Amino acid sequence: MNFLAPFAFLFAATLPVVIVFYMLKRRRTVRLVSSTILWQKFLAETQANAPFQKLRNNWLLILQLLMLALAVFALARPYFATTTKETGLVVVILDGSASMQARDESPSRFEAARKEALKLVDGLKDTDQMIVLLSAGNTVVRQSPTAEKSTLRRVLEECQPGDTPTRVEEAFKLAQTLAKNRAHVEVHFFSDGAIPAAENLSSIKLPVVYHQFGKRANNAGITAMDVRPHPEDASQRVVFASVFNASTNAQTVSAELRFNGQFIDSKVLNLPAREASSTVFAAEQKQSGTYTLKLKSDDDLAADNEASIISKMPRPVKVLLVSGGNRFLESAIRVLPNVELNTASQLLTGGKGFDIVVLDGVTPVTQPEVNTLAWKVATTNWFESWRTVENPDIVDWNANHPLMRFVTFDDVRVYSTLAVKAPKWGLVLVEAQQTPLVIAGEKGRQRLVWVGFDSLESQLPLRHSFIIFMANAMDWLNPQQTDASQFTLQAGNAFRQPLFENVATATVTTPKGDKRELKLGDQAKELIWSETYRVGLYKANYGTNETSFTVNLMDPAESDITPRSQVPVGAQGAVAATTSKRANLEYWRWFAMGALAVLMFEWWYYHRRTV
Amino acid sequence: MSQPLITADLLRRLEQLQLLARRRSKSNTRGERRSKARGQSVEFADHRNYVSGDDLRYLDWNLYGRLDKLFLKLYEEERELPVTIFLDCSESMAFGEPNKFHFARQLAAAIGYVALCGFDRVSVRTFPDSPAESAYRQSLLSVRGRKSSLQFFRNLAHLTAKGTADFNAALRRGALESRTTGVAVVLSDFLDPQGYEAGLTSLIGRGFQVNAVQILSPDEIAPTNFGDLRLIDAETGAQTEVTFGRYRMEQYQQMVENFRQKLREYCAGRGIGIFTASSADSLEQLLLKQLREAEVWG
Repeated sequence: MNFLAPFAFLFAATLPVVIVFYMLKRRRTVRLVSSTILWQKFLAETQANAPFQKLRNNWLLILQLLMLALAVFALARPYFATTTKETGLVVVILDGSASMQARDESPSRFEAARKEALKLVDGLKDTDQMIVLLSAGNTVVRQSPTAEKSTLRRVLEECQPGDTPTRVEEAFKLAQTLAKNRAHVEVHFFSDGAIPAAENLSSIKLPVVYHQFGKRANNAGITAMDVRPHPEDASQRVVFASVFNASTNAQTVSAELRFNGQFIDSKVLNLPAREASSTVFAAEQKQSGTYTLKLKSDDDLAADNEASIISKMPRPVKVLLVSGGNRFLESAIRVLPNVELNTASQLLTGGKGFDIVVLDGVTPVTQPEVNTLAWKVATTNWFESWRTVENPDIVDWNANHPLMRFVTFDDVRVYSTLAVKAPKWGLVLVEAQQTPLVIAGEKGRQRLVWVGFDSLESQLPLRHSFIIFMANAMDWLNPQQTDASQFTLQAGNAFRQPLFENVATATVTTPKGDKRELKLGDQAKELIWSETYRVGLYKANYGTNETSFTVNLMDPAESDITPRSQVPVGAQGAVAATTSKRANLEYWRWFAMGALAVLMFEWWYYHRRTV
Repeated sequence: MSQPLITADLLRRLEQLQLLARRRSKSNTRGERRSKARGQSVEFADHRNYVSGDDLRYLDWNLYGRLDKLFLKLYEEERELPVTIFLDCSESMAFGEPNKFHFARQLAAAIGYVALCGFDRVSVRTFPDSPAESAYRQSLLSVRGRKSSLQFFRNLAHLTAKGTADFNAALRRGALESRTTGVAVVLSDFLDPQGYEAGLTSLIGRGFQVNAVQILSPDEIAPTNFGDLRLIDAETGAQTEVTFGRYRMEQYQQMVENFRQKLREYCAGRGIGIFTASSADSLEQLLLKQLREAEVWG
C-alpha cells in the first residue's frame, strides 16, 4: 500500500490532543439550590429514554456535521477541472559533481540543492510527472517519469554527490530525448554552474530553470599531478603538481608529499588570486609505489586537496625487430635509451615475451599479440584490401598526435607504398593523395602503428624526422606508458585491467576500506570497475594478483567552485539563476484544516462555562 | 422585621374585600356569615308551627290574624367562616430574590387581614415544626377580630423558613386537626419529592374550600447559573450534576411550564383554585386582580 501524501500522517499528532481533551476532568461548579426536583425533571425530559429522539436544533450537532462534511470532502481529493492540455513533465537535473560538496552552503551545496528539489516535488501538480537525473561523472536516470511524490522524495533523498567532474551535457541531451513528444516540459537544473567549457549545451532547446547554489569560491585544489624519471638522475623521480587557487584572494597553503605513506617533502605554496601555481618535488625511488600529495588548507572543498599517482619502477622495453635486414631501422631503435632490441627474420610466436614488435616488410606467420609497428605489411586482420601505389604525393600529416611530435614530412619522398582504405580502428597521421601512409590506433587492447611504405623505399631514413618518429613510436607503443595512465584515473572513469588467467571473482577495496566483490565469470578477459566516484587509493585483488590504482579529481573547472549566476544552455547562450517557486494547487488540505478548526471550535463551544 | 409585610395603602384597599365562601359556614361560633343554622338575625328564613315553650317574641302575628294559627318566624343564624392558611416554612422557601418565603408571608398576611376584617377566624398552620418559633406559631393557630391583626402581622413576621417539610403529611394533619372546615389557602412552592396530590386530596376530602398559590422564585423559572454544575438540594442534600447553558433555557422553561400545568390540571379537576406566582410578581396585582377575578374574594 502506498500513500500519495504521507505527510498527512502529521495530522495524527492531533489525536493525542483529543485524548488530552478527553482526559481533562470536567470541573463542576457547586451551587446550593432550593430544590433539585425541577432539575431532575429537566434531566429526565432531556435524557434519551428511547432509541431515537426528535432532532433538535443543536449547534454542537451542526458543528459536528460540518466537520464530518469537511473531512469527507477532503478525503474525496477535490480539484477544480481546468482546461489543461496535457500532463506536464518536470525534469530535475541534480548536479552531483565534486564542487557541489563545497561547504559554503550549510551543510553543503548538494544538500541545499536537494532541499530545493524536494520543495519542487511538494509543489508538483497532481497531473505533472517528474524525472530525476543525477549528473556527476556520468548521468544516471534515478527516476523515470512518475507523479508519485513519495517515490520522488525517496529517490532524491538517496541521491549522493561524487568526487567527479561535471558532465552535464549528457544529462541535458538525455533530458531532451526523454522530453521528446511532450508539449509541456520544464527542466530544473540544480547546480553551482561550474561547468567546463568543453561541455556544449548550445543545442539544448528546452525551457531551463537554473537553481544556483554556492556563495563564495574559497578553495585551493590540485589540478594536475604527474611523475616522471629525473632527466639527470635515473635513480630519482620528479613529481610535478599544479595547484589552482579559485579564491579572489591570494593564499598560502602547505603541500606535503608522501610515498607509500612515508613523508618525503613539504613545500609552502604562495597562490595568487585565481591562478594556478606549479611545484616540483624530486624523490629517490627504489620500488614501485604511490605518491600522495596533500594540501593543508581549510577550504570549502576537500575532494581536490589530495591527489595520488602510481609510480612503477621503469624496466627496459623489449623490442623484437622482424626484418630481412634494415640497418637504418635497427640503428634507429638501438640508439633509443632503455630499449632491449632483438631481431628475427620471421614472427612465429606472436611476439610473446616482447613489449613491441616491429615488422619490417615481413608478413607475420602468426598475428602479433603485442603493440606493433608495421612497415609495408598488410594483413586481412587490419585491412579489407590493398594494392601498390607508386610515387604517392604526401598532402597532409597530423602534427598534434604524440607520434608526430616534432616530425615533418616536408622533404620526404616515397617511391612505392601499399594503398589501403582508412580502417575504423585507426587515425590517419600522414596522408597521400592516393592513400593513407601512416595510421595509428588501437585494435582491441593492442596499439598498432602502420606505415604503408618500406623505409628503404623512401627518403625518410635520411631525414632527422626518422629518428624522432621512431622514438615517438617506441614511446607511444611502450605498454608501460599505457599502464601509467591506466592506474591513475579521473573520478568517474572506469578502471580496466586485462586478465590473463581465468578469474571468477575480484575484490575491490575502496579508499574507505569497504570491500566490494565483483563476479567476473570464467570467460572474462578484462576487469572493469566503474564505481570510481570517490578519490583515493583503490586496491583490486583478482586471482593471485593485486593491483592498486588511484582516483583523483584533478579538474581545474571543478576546483574553480565560483558560483555562476548563468549557465551556457541553449542557442541564446545563457540561462540566469531563478528563485521562482511553484504554487501549491491541491485543495483537499484546506478542507482537512477546516475540519480540524471546526473540531477545535466545537470542543471550545462545548466546554465554555457561559454560553 | 424592619420591612412591613403589607403597606398601609394595601391594607386600606384590602379592608374593602371580603372572602367569598361557596358553602355556608359550618362553624358553631357566631359571626357574619350565613349558615344553615337558625338563630337570631335579620334574615328571615322560614316559619314553623308554634310549640309550647317557644319564645313568644318570634310569633308571626300577622299570619295569626289571617290564618288564626300560631306560626313562629325563623331567622338565619350568622356564623363565622374559618379560614385556614397552610404556610410552607421549609428550607426551599428561603431561596430566591425576592425571597419566596417573604412573598408567602405577605400573601398570608393579606388573606388573614381580609378574613379578620370580615369577622372570620384565621388559622395559620405552618410546616415543618420549629420549636424555636412555637410561641409565634401557636398564636397564629386561632386569630379572630380585626383588632388582632397587628399581632397577627407581628407573629407572621417572626416566622423563618428552615428544615425539611413533608408537604402531604402536613396538609393531612392540618385537615384532621381542624374542628370545622372552611376556606383553606395553601401557600407553597409545591417542590416536594413526594408530590402534592395526597395533601390536597385530604383537604378536599375533609370539606375545605381549597385555594392554592404556588410561589416560585425568578431563578427557578429562568436559572442564571450556567456551565457544568453540581446542584445541592437545600432541603434534602441530594446532589444533581447538570450541564446547563442558554441553549437549553427554552427546554427548561418548557419543563417548568409543564410542571405548573400539571398542577393546574390536578387542582382544576378537584375544584381547587390554583394560582402560580413568581416572588418577583406584584403583590397588588395578585391580590386585587387575580384573586378577585377568581372570586376568592370580592
